[in-house]
Amino acid sequence: MTAAGWSEISTTAFSVALFAYLAAMLGYFHHLAFRRRAVVLAASGVAWAGLVAHAVSVVARGLAAGRVPWGNMYEYSSLLSLLTVAGYLGYLELRHGLRQVGGFALMFAVITMAIAVEFLYVGPAPLVPALNSYWLKIHVVAAIVGSSLFALGGGVLTTLYLVQEARERRAASLPPPIMGGAVDVEAPPDHAGSADEPVGGGTGRWGLLPPAAVLDRLAYRTIAFAFPIWTFAVIAGAIWAQRAWGRYWGWDPKETWSFVTWTIFAGYLHARSTVGWKGRRAAVLALIGFVSLLVTYYVVNLWIVGLHSYAGI
Amino acid sequence: MRRSLALVWRTLRSMRTALVLLLLLALASIAGSLVPQAANSPEAVAAMAREDPVRAEVYARLGLFDVYGSWWFTLIYTLLLISLAACLLPRTRALARNLRTRPQSAREVDGFRHHAEVRVAASPADAVAAARRVLRRRRFRLSAPDGGLGLAADKGLAREAGSLLFHWSFFLLLLGVAWGKGTGFTGFAVIVEGDTWTEAHANYDGNIREGAFFGEDHTGIGIRVRDFEDRYLPDGQPLDFVTRADLLAPDGGLLERVDIRVNHPAAVGGLAIHQYGYGWAPVLEVRRDGELLAQAPIPFQQDRPPEGVSPLAMPWRGALKLPSLSPQVGVELDLWPDARGLVGVLAGRPVVMTEARDPVLLFTTYRGDLHADRVQRSAELDTRDMRQVSRGVLGLGRTVDLETGEEAEPDAPGLTMTFAGLRRYTVLQVSRDRGLGLVLSAAILMLVGLLPALFSSRRRVFLRADPAPDGAVLRVGGFALQHADRFEEEFGRLVQELSRAAGPARDPAGVGAG
Repeated sequence: MTAAGWSEISTTAFSVALFAYLAAMLGYFHHLAFRRRAVVLAASGVAWAGLVAHAVSVVARGLAAGRVPWGNMYEYSSLLSLLTVAGYLGYLELRHGLRQVGGFALMFAVITMAIAVEFLYVGPAPLVPALNSYWLKIHVVAAIVGSSLFALGGGVLTTLYLVQEARERRAASLPPPIMGGAVDVEAPPDHAGSADEPVGGGTGRWGLLPPAAVLDRLAYRTIAFAFPIWTFAVIAGAIWAQRAWGRYWGWDPKETWSFVTWTIFAGYLHARSTVGWKGRRAAVLALIGFVSLLVTYYVVNLWIVGLHSYAGI
Repeated sequence: MRRSLALVWRTLRSMRTALVLLLLLALASIAGSLVPQAANSPEAVAAMAREDPVRAEVYARLGLFDVYGSWWFTLIYTLLLISLAACLLPRTRALARNLRTRPQSAREVDGFRHHAEVRVAASPADAVAAARRVLRRRRFRLSAPDGGLGLAADKGLAREAGSLLFHWSFFLLLLGVAWGKGTGFTGFAVIVEGDTWTEAHANYDGNIREGAFFGEDHTGIGIRVRDFEDRYLPDGQPLDFVTRADLLAPDGGLLERVDIRVNHPAAVGGLAIHQYGYGWAPVLEVRRDGELLAQAPIPFQQDRPPEGVSPLAMPWRGALKLPSLSPQVGVELDLWPDARGLVGVLAGRPVVMTEARDPVLLFTTYRGDLHADRVQRSAELDTRDMRQVSRGVLGLGRTVDLETGEEAEPDAPGLTMTFAGLRRYTVLQVSRDRGLGLVLSAAILMLVGLLPALFSSRRRVFLRADPAPDGAVLRVGGFALQHADRFEEEFGRLVQELSRAAGPARDPAGVGAG
């Protein structure tokens, strides 16, 4: 098949994946609000289908360009959201049955992909010489994997933890209703019957969410898993910088921000075992780390001029 | 005094202080990415000094143009390092002590968070021996056999060891950085095709960045550039830049033939040679009354293109200076390597010039005082005290009379300039960093330490066997210092295995776990 043919397959599959994620996201949120088991199962199926289409899109893109499909921001965004969805479906949903988180994980993917296709799209083309190095390929893969895990752990799980933690604190400080039936007394039918879903800590809109302690633990595990990968990405980036520019570290904005992100998540890992920083404070740090990750990716690439600036994206 | 020192030390030792310093370091780094840095973007710093001198002055005073070399950045990371060392030293000592000694047994086993009691068929001594085997297989460290019927075991010291390795390696990394940068240098060599450049202080273009302990031990190695080639897609996206060069020993003997590309530096005599830039160098000949005054390729430079315009569509600028004439003569030159580029600009449609095709030079001749005694960029002409004499266009191989601007023969009377040839030049970055190996090793050690530090977890298990009718009662207790949520299941499995190893009692009702 010709490059143009692969390119077309890639963009079509990308759109299919994007709309599948969007539909699945709505399904997961619907489940969160109305607790229909059929809806969440359908959402999960649609998300898996979207993931397959997405994988096709990424592979076809590589075939169209005749190189690894992570050479510019569009491709990076695509792979980042692919891995985030895969991480959610494979780890959080299959392994831990955390369907309640699905809408948020997919929301991250949908937004990333929408930005990619709307603002960052460029046709498949060979790499500029500075980017043409196998260290770059390793560096970028590690950065994408690390980013997707940070997005899940520091972004999605931590946000939900903070929401849930605030709820639990409020619930603990409020006296129990004297007259029963203040809010949502009836247990949802599917919730009561499903063994694979961790039982949420109460009622109300967020009642389906797992307890804060579970969210905290999963967020920690995800971030702890991502941290060495990110460390490796920074090291591989430095090795590449040494080869490309003759210095491994030059405080270029990208280097600076990847260091800042690394530092904040290192702070988070320490904070979790520091008296007075456990729980909410540590979680806020993780959230700041996630924001820093977004800055490292979007703001530095698009608005701050440096060696990592993408000529024409 | 003594007490306040102790207080400072205690504060530095606390994890909270280290954490705050770490976050301060992140914050300070951010400042350096928002304000232009003199080392990375000198033009932006100069622009701010022009446009907003007051702000630039304030920023300069605060060290904001050189954040990573400023006193406050240095203060933050020095404090962080001290704090880190203060945390690490006692921990390292404790780990060393811990490694030397075996786990201590506990008198009461059922006081621990997890505990269980099982009846086994084996005698107390046999049950303990079986437990030793099980625990050793599960890679626990065991307490010394004391002849008694108690046993203590622990695992997961790798966590602390990994954590310490990670943190100490960070020191090693900084050491490597300081040593490499301190004894090293970075400079740029501008070499026209066909020329040989010798690695010596005076031959570098512009300033050399030298470390504080750099001993001026330049190598005298020669770089003879055979040719420079660049390739592009039709739209001007670069595909490849390559300098083909011979590396020469100081005595002129050939060491190695190399292709230096982006991402493929050459290494020789401890130096790294990177492809950095390139340009055009027109070969100009100047004659007076037919007699050759000067003949040289002049490396031309390029202005930064306006937003959205490819640098390949921009002309190259240079200057020819003849300070020996009186009055002095200077010629401002614009080179269009491809004549279509000039036509394109005149038509308002920039054309990318990826190769030399009918190159043309636009020249403007001045007469007067060059101010050649003042330092100036070689591509610029200081025309304040000069008067324009002529201007015109010159094609490759043609000659012009600089007085009149008319085309002439090279041996015509008067001052003539001949556009005799067009060559490429390459800009190579030459640097030396002896700390590279150390920095890389330290980075790898950090990564190696990080894995057990994050994923290994410490568990302690205690056990005692007491005689019981037809067998023994095995009491097991234990706790986890990390990942306690997973230990519950782990502990249950361990108890089962221990009981199986010692032969479960015929009466299963005796099993209880709490």
